[in-house]
Amino acid sequence: MKWIVLAVMFCLSVMVGIMFSAKYKKRELFYSALIMFAQKLDVEISFSRERLKNLINNMDEKTKKNLFGLDKNFLTYLDGKEELSMEKLFKNCPVLKNDEKETVFLFFKSLGRSDALGQSKEIQNFIKRFDENLSKCASENKKYGSLCFKLGIIVGLFMIVVFI
Amino acid sequence: MLEKILPDKIFLPLSRKVGFGALNEIRMRADKPILLSVQGQKFFLSEEGKTRSLSSAIYANASMIEEIVFRASECSIYSVSEQIKKGFIATPNGIRIGIGGNVVEEGGAVKTMTGFSSINIRIPHEIKNCCLKAYSSIVGSFSIHNTLVISPPGGGKTTFLRDLVFQLSDRNLAYNVLVLDERGELNIGKSLGLYSDVISFASKKIGFENGIRSLAPNIIVTDELSEWEDMEAVKFASNCGVKIIASTHCDSIENFQKKFAFKEIIDEKIFSRYVVLSMREGPGTLEGIWDENFNRIMRW
Repeated sequence: MKWIVLAVMFCLSVMVGIMFSAKYKKRELFYSALIMFAQKLDVEISFSRERLKNLINNMDEKTKKNLFGLDKNFLTYLDGKEELSMEKLFKNCPVLKNDEKETVFLFFKSLGRSDALGQSKEIQNFIKRFDENLSKCASENKKYGSLCFKLGIIVGLFMIVVFI
Repeated sequence: MLEKILPDKIFLPLSRKVGFGALNEIRMRADKPILLSVQGQKFFLSEEGKTRSLSSAIYANASMIEEIVFRASECSIYSVSEQIKKGFIATPNGIRIGIGGNVVEEGGAVKTMTGFSSINIRIPHEIKNCCLKAYSSIVGSFSIHNTLVISPPGGGKTTFLRDLVFQLSDRNLAYNVLVLDERGELNIGKSLGLYSDVISFASKKIGFENGIRSLAPNIIVTDELSEWEDMEAVKFASNCGVKIIASTHCDSIENFQKKFAFKEIIDEKIFSRYVVLSMREGPGTLEGIWDENFNRIMRW
């Protein structure tokens, strides 16, 4: 019985570590999906000039999944008449810090509001900023993500040692 | 479509108190009252509908106008930038939104337009049989006259042309009609009948040339001839043996004859019928029909 309890405690500790490290991973995935999203918009707006709703609807599922519902929330705004608000846009996206949210919010707010040339330049500027954030997230993930995971294991082992 | 474009503050009194049946246009200017044109008469828009009282009028503002332009472009201004360069946006169901703002020019050409400060939303109407009084003067037993419809802005030219195309189809005159819809106003739904092809948003020059080559029309119908380039396109089509039914802005037949851009067209007698519309008894009032020598052949 004691061993079972210890095993459960170890697993819980590792899971907590994984949970913390997943946050860093998710941030990295989010930014790489956002960059993909922005690049696709840039290309399509420059060449096909397809409507924004169609472009967003036609994004691949993997990109959409890692955007944590931002695409859907933005489509809801496009379909309605209400103003775009940060609360509504980020309601399913817990991984961003406040200053990051502001940048991403400005990006979505700028979509569809200028001519093709202006829109393309604006998107490219945002891609540069997202790129910087991505490399920051990647290094954070490398540093803290694996650290959290390892800490989870160490704490788990420590508990086993203490309770034995 | 308007419910998607206009904010509720404007759309609700319009739909509940004014109605769209008699509404011709909605004018919005930044920080000024919203103006309605209902059967040629001007009113302010208030929460209670149309009014002549300035104190109860609803005012527009720049961000409201910007939002309407954004919504009218289906949230994609970049996709209508060529239209914006020409000063308008056409929605899929024929509503034309004229835009005022800051024009950015480069090398003598319009690059884009920013800072939208006023809009003019023109509501298209389908008035069946509105061209019938003039029909027999334009369409003969075996031929159709090259016809130019003349009226001041908002005088009902487009509605007249749309009905004329429909009547040709409805009477089963299987002419191939090419509707060159440069501003996206003529083609609204099924109103153009069974025998018409549509080229939208092309200039007259490109539309006439491509249309004649690719679609072999018997008749070309187009809106708003105004520039030299349009006259060249008309002459080109006429020389190809294609009949032309078109419209232009002018308030009377006398003033039309003074329009310099039309001098060659008039001298060469390319158009053999001039239909003049006015707003005397509301948009689309038929004033008369003149022949190629400017003899009045019909009077109302």
